[in-house]
Amino acid sequence: MNFELTEEQKIIQATAREFAEKELAPAAADLDRGGDRKIFLGNLAKLAELGFMGLGIKADYGGAEAGSVALSLAITEIARACASTAVTLAVNNLVAEIIQAAGSEDQKKKYLRDICSGAYPAASLALTEPCAGSDSAAVAVTAVRDGEEWVLNGSKIFITSAPYAGVFAVFALTDKTALKGKGISCFLVEAGAKGLTIGKEEHKMGQRASATNELSFDNCRIPADALLGKLNSGFTSAAEGLAGGRINIGSLALGIGLAAMDYAAAYSAERAQFGKKISSFEAIQWMIADSYTELEAARLLLMSAAAKRETGKSHMKEAAMGKMFATEAANRACYNAVQILGGYGYTDQYPVERYARDARVTTIYEGTNEIQRLIIAREILKSI
Amino acid sequence: MKTLLVFEYRRGKLTEANLELFSFAAALGAQTAGVLIGAETLLPAYPGKLYLGDIVKCKDYNPEVHADIIMQAAQKEDPDYIVFIHSSYGWDLAPRVAARLKAAQVSEITGVSEGKFETGCCNGKMRRLVRPATTKAVLTIQEGAFCFTGEAEGTPAVEKLEPSADGAGLEFAGYEEPEKREVDLAKAEVIVSAGRGIGKKENVPAIAELAKSLKGELGASRPVVDAGWVDHNRQVGATGQIVSPKLYVACGISGAIQHLTGMRNSEFIVAVNKDKEAPISEVADVMVIADVMPFVAALTEKLKQ
Amino acid sequence: MKILVCIKQIPDMASKFKPNAANTWFTETDLAFRMNEYDEYAVEEAIKLKEKQGADPSDLVVLSVGPARVVEALKKALAMGCDRGVHIHDDESNLKDPWQIASLIAAYAKKENFDIIFTGMQSQDRGSGQVGVTLAGDLGCSCVTTAINFSLEAGVVTAKRELEGGAKGVVKLKLPAVVTCQLGLNTPRYPTLPNIMKARKKEIAVLKAAELSAEGPRAVTEKFYHPVKKGTGLVLEGEPAALAVKVLELIKEKTTVLRG
Repeated sequence: MNFELTEEQKIIQATAREFAEKELAPAAADLDRGGDRKIFLGNLAKLAELGFMGLGIKADYGGAEAGSVALSLAITEIARACASTAVTLAVNNLVAEIIQAAGSEDQKKKYLRDICSGAYPAASLALTEPCAGSDSAAVAVTAVRDGEEWVLNGSKIFITSAPYAGVFAVFALTDKTALKGKGISCFLVEAGAKGLTIGKEEHKMGQRASATNELSFDNCRIPADALLGKLNSGFTSAAEGLAGGRINIGSLALGIGLAAMDYAAAYSAERAQFGKKISSFEAIQWMIADSYTELEAARLLLMSAAAKRETGKSHMKEAAMGKMFATEAANRACYNAVQILGGYGYTDQYPVERYARDARVTTIYEGTNEIQRLIIAREILKSI
Repeated sequence: MKTLLVFEYRRGKLTEANLELFSFAAALGAQTAGVLIGAETLLPAYPGKLYLGDIVKCKDYNPEVHADIIMQAAQKEDPDYIVFIHSSYGWDLAPRVAARLKAAQVSEITGVSEGKFETGCCNGKMRRLVRPATTKAVLTIQEGAFCFTGEAEGTPAVEKLEPSADGAGLEFAGYEEPEKREVDLAKAEVIVSAGRGIGKKENVPAIAELAKSLKGELGASRPVVDAGWVDHNRQVGATGQIVSPKLYVACGISGAIQHLTGMRNSEFIVAVNKDKEAPISEVADVMVIADVMPFVAALTEKLKQ
Repeated sequence: MKILVCIKQIPDMASKFKPNAANTWFTETDLAFRMNEYDEYAVEEAIKLKEKQGADPSDLVVLSVGPARVVEALKKALAMGCDRGVHIHDDESNLKDPWQIASLIAAYAKKENFDIIFTGMQSQDRGSGQVGVTLAGDLGCSCVTTAINFSLEAGVVTAKRELEGGAKGVVKLKLPAVVTCQLGLNTPRYPTLPNIMKARKKEIAVLKAAELSAEGPRAVTEKFYHPVKKGTGLVLEGEPAALAVKVLELIKEKTTVLRG
């Protein structure tokens, strides 16, 4: 049993931490309050230059080939400073991994390089629809073949990075007659495709620097070779990638939770009430002990899932466990952090309210935690 | 016990810190002789022996030639300690002399105790007590650690030394003037300085606003200047400006020695920092343990009322 | 051109330091280590110089003395762009004085005939500022300290030294030379992830300290301790508004700046 990171993983973690502290943390609060998106995009470009946009992608396609553990570590460090940047990075890596797993050689050459190098400011995954949330197989956007083209119609919702994404991985119904979930395919749609409209940007509770929009397809014509993977096998092609995505969102939540507790624990050692440091009160100590224990457990779950993924072992259950546990632990940590800071924690003079808002969505997106529990149970029960 | 003090002469002047060498020798209870590579017309005032090398013959500052003169003086004087100020002159030259003598060197000494020397480490957070294991030792002392309070007087007995080395591997090609200063912080009565702890460039105006509310000037620590947040002409510290205002407010400055050197003589020092152990606490009259920006905002508001 | 850059791995300076059992240095338990900040500038300058060599093949070696953990710092330097690493393995390097460290490096460097050697002007933890100059003396080459500007033309280094008060001293040195680097000399790059992974394949030669040099110490650390609080400074804690009121009262009481 070896709990030590490799030297490379340590250096990647340290580089992510240093970059996050120097470049991301100073701007995070302003960006959350509607600051200049150019700064946000500028930081994404710098991260791409450093190789963070294709951590798990092969060097032949411009990736870092650094593996799933390093990706998890990097996302945690980035999220400590700016969850909005972390989610963008997580989605980019997710889309890149889906393309790497299912794409043709031409698709890989064409898109992976641009995602990894930052030529595309971001990449986007378009799955969720107004009536297909947790019930993702209820996808209603249609893709109909017309000669050498596919024609897409319908709309998507809650699409991360939409206004600045260079490419979208879009899930659409290609066989209406198939059993539910069996007639869905995935397409790579480039930004600016005719008939693709980026709709209004949502005003979100947290992760506000990152854009989340509607997409609508109105007779959007894309070439035949935009199909990613096999026809009617969209979910199968994406399944591996989506499992990795869960590890990444868990890692993101872990970063937020750690940032919140690190801040609150330090604060408790300074703040005095009743003539004593509040860290000397058991009530505070228990919150600190509980949250750090849960965050450490989350870290171990995520590391174990990432290590399995990296070595090609089955990790569907572990990834779901890591996502579910880490995101809930992070929310409890943020709750405790605000509680420790009291009234001050509820104001925007201190960062914990932002952490609390940023953490909230992590139990919802990338598969709600209710869905994660179904996956975990399914994985356990299928072998009994 | 004998010391050989190495005085520093730069651009036609004896540096002020030279006087601290006398305080250090007094702290050792040692006899003093000195060595100066400078000009006959400008000598330190003390009643002892002075070995003098000519600044022109020593090629202004060619460290190899300076080391040669100091070695000649050391051979004649046979001192127990050769002492420099820990300045750009001292830290450049002392190791060269120590190497020639095969002697111990202790850098940036802050205190003396029975033949052992105290020196700071870990960014000023810790101290070491160091004992030279050689019979002679080369020492550099921290500027400001041995303040000279008396009156310098007396005329040294001069013995001139001629360089015996040519220092051919190196050529001193002159000085470059510091950038022109628009702001003379030395004249300011109040200085409010920004350090790395303010977090980002965008917070500089809030610090400047506090300075304005106190009718003072904005200052900055070196990292903030290096990062381009504040102009170089507002840098406080050894390589910036040396200041002694009536009130110095250090915002998010941990207190690297180079900074402390530049502001420790301020009359009243308020330091705002999250880290209670930050070295700035050594010189601060008031240590405010808080997040810098909320405190700065609150103080500015109170001042405006 | 053969280039050497010497780096040290030091603890994060924001850490709390605890003396070891012998009271001679800090205990490493619970400390996170990183590359000495001054050395990052040295590595960057060495890489910039290598990149300028163009077609002229150069060999850029990064060296560190210390226990096994220093490999991480070496790998970072390799990921930044150094060609190969040398690890002088020494579990007790922290107890050695600058003379001993310089002797170890010199014993290796003498055999390699480097044209130029970069290092930080000092370490953030020990802060002696001696190793670079002492190494130059041992190798018999010229040395400039506290460089904030560096160029190399036709075998001559022109460096600007940072002096007190913002002035600079300009120095020209013939090769071989040692340059100790000051903060602000350049902007050290972040290693890119692909380069971090590629650095795995770069060689790190391990040399045993005991086989390189048996020099004894010239200076011995007798004690390592927290400074005695000199300041009788007041420590104030609490909420910003309340603190501001207190500080304002103190400024009014202790200084004249708000009068008149």
